[in-house]
Amino acid sequence: MTKKRVGIFSLTCDEGCSIYMIEIFNQKLLPWLTKMEIVHFMSVSDKRDFKDLDIALIEGTVSSERDKREVEEIRRQSKILIAMGNCAMTALPSGQRNNFDAEKKADIQKDVDAYNLLPKCLALKDVVKVDDNIAGCPIDEKKFIEIFEKYL
Amino acid sequence: MHSCDLNVSINKLSKIEGHADLDIEIRDGKVGKVDLRVVENKRFYEQEVKGKPAMAVPQLVSHICGTCSIAHLTACTEAVEKTLGVQISPQTLILRKLTMYSLMIRDHALHLYFFVAPDLFGVDSALDLAESQKELVHDALHIKEAGNNLSTLIAGRSVHAMFEQVGGFAKIPDETKIPAMIEELKSIRAAVIRLCDIFLNCDWVLKRKTNFVAIATKDFSYLEGVIKTSAGEVINEENYWDHLHSVVIPYSQAAAFEFEGKEYMVGALARLNLNKEALHADTKRDLAKHLAVFPSDNIYHNNLAQAIEILHSIDHSIELLSTTKFKKEELAKPARMTGEGVGVIEAPRGTLYYWLGIDEGKVRYANLVIPTAQNLINMRSDVREAVVEICADPSASSGQAAAEQGQKLWEEKIKKEVEKIIRAYDPCMSCASHFLRINWV
Repeated sequence: MTKKRVGIFSLTCDEGCSIYMIEIFNQKLLPWLTKMEIVHFMSVSDKRDFKDLDIALIEGTVSSERDKREVEEIRRQSKILIAMGNCAMTALPSGQRNNFDAEKKADIQKDVDAYNLLPKCLALKDVVKVDDNIAGCPIDEKKFIEIFEKYL
Repeated sequence: MHSCDLNVSINKLSKIEGHADLDIEIRDGKVGKVDLRVVENKRFYEQEVKGKPAMAVPQLVSHICGTCSIAHLTACTEAVEKTLGVQISPQTLILRKLTMYSLMIRDHALHLYFFVAPDLFGVDSALDLAESQKELVHDALHIKEAGNNLSTLIAGRSVHAMFEQVGGFAKIPDETKIPAMIEELKSIRAAVIRLCDIFLNCDWVLKRKTNFVAIATKDFSYLEGVIKTSAGEVINEENYWDHLHSVVIPYSQAAAFEFEGKEYMVGALARLNLNKEALHADTKRDLAKHLAVFPSDNIYHNNLAQAIEILHSIDHSIELLSTTKFKKEELAKPARMTGEGVGVIEAPRGTLYYWLGIDEGKVRYANLVIPTAQNLINMRSDVREAVVEICADPSASSGQAAAEQGQKLWEEKIKKEVEKIIRAYDPCMSCASHFLRINWV
């Protein structure tokens, strides 16, 4: 059996979902490793390979041009793309600047310009086609296992 | 000796929390610029908290960081309590200690097994060890699982915990689950001692004199005490800010701090150097030869210090869970709704400081000092020191037939060594990118 090629990616966020996923690994990593190969996950590996992915899990909101280009490239390379957690699904909470009033918006404008940030933080579905979603902040453990195993 | 020029660039360091780039410039065999850039996109917490209800802000800031979410939650909760005159009960303090211990167990284990162990065994990833180092990987998963289960039992969850609140805990632990939790903690002690042995026997050395800073807590519980330094200062928690200077690093999305105008280090190594006598008696009994290493100037002993802290966190948790009868309590109420106050704790990566101003129950401003931001200057000096040592080593590229190939190997060696040093600090770039004002010109 060929192993599924899995990539895990962090956009703008606190990485709480991928950290919580590593906690889910406490029980699940060894059985899952018989079915998958993690080819991209910067938290645990220096490999930068994300060509021809079977499953891409993406956490975080799309807040910069760099984030946007990355998501578009991951989409081109992936059969199944899953939004992992609330930031990826809805842009919140990490995209909280979307809800700032005029005064707070003015306060951050120089940073937005200097770092090439997008005018608004976007959910993944605003940028690319998303095949499935795992809600939660961080991800719900049961939901993650159920959805991830569906594609594994 | 090398006389050639070299630019070493690492685009996104792996196996750390968050994103950072590193550039090192070598000219005529001498180390020039060392740029360590935090490249996290800002999420603007400084603005977000303004005007928000003070009672809700600790949960909000717990989202600054995924892995040390509990540290932000706890430090900010303490700052709100000190600002508004909330007196917490002895039981709340015990629950808070257990919450912090659950964080230390799983966060240090994540760092040591998933970020550092691959360098020890010469592989890319802990996942590559699943076949060749079965016992090590099993140990890693069991220790992390115990920390995760302790978080769930005491605080509701290991990331963005729900039960810890201003004035107390919304729920007390289910007493029917406590005996099994104690057994689980006891069952991982041997694995943690194996981990301590690995880092005691590790031959990595990078020594450089620096000033170590940490809260010296009486029972090594990461919460209450005076701030001590290896230079001999003793500072009350609320006065910490007066000794710090913010240094803007212009090419980074994070600033840095100096203590009394000089670089310094916070974190597990600082805590062990300054306060090892306060560790739990069982930890001291079983780790006597490991503890004899401290105080130490070897930055790599931060890894050993973290492993020791895992055992202490287990031992003190076992004692607290065995000797406490938890009762339902009301949340303690604020004495006032306006004021200024400071909360300081020891987070996994070092001293974490929250300074809040609250007006009629709403946050007027927040000022934070993040551990990684305090370590940045020291980390950069250590990276420089390591590269200088490699450049001074005549064997670094000897025996290479082709100069070009020698240069490639030299570059790989530098990359490998500097990544090891940066990982030894266990930096968290997600945290470091917040609450640092950059004045754009």
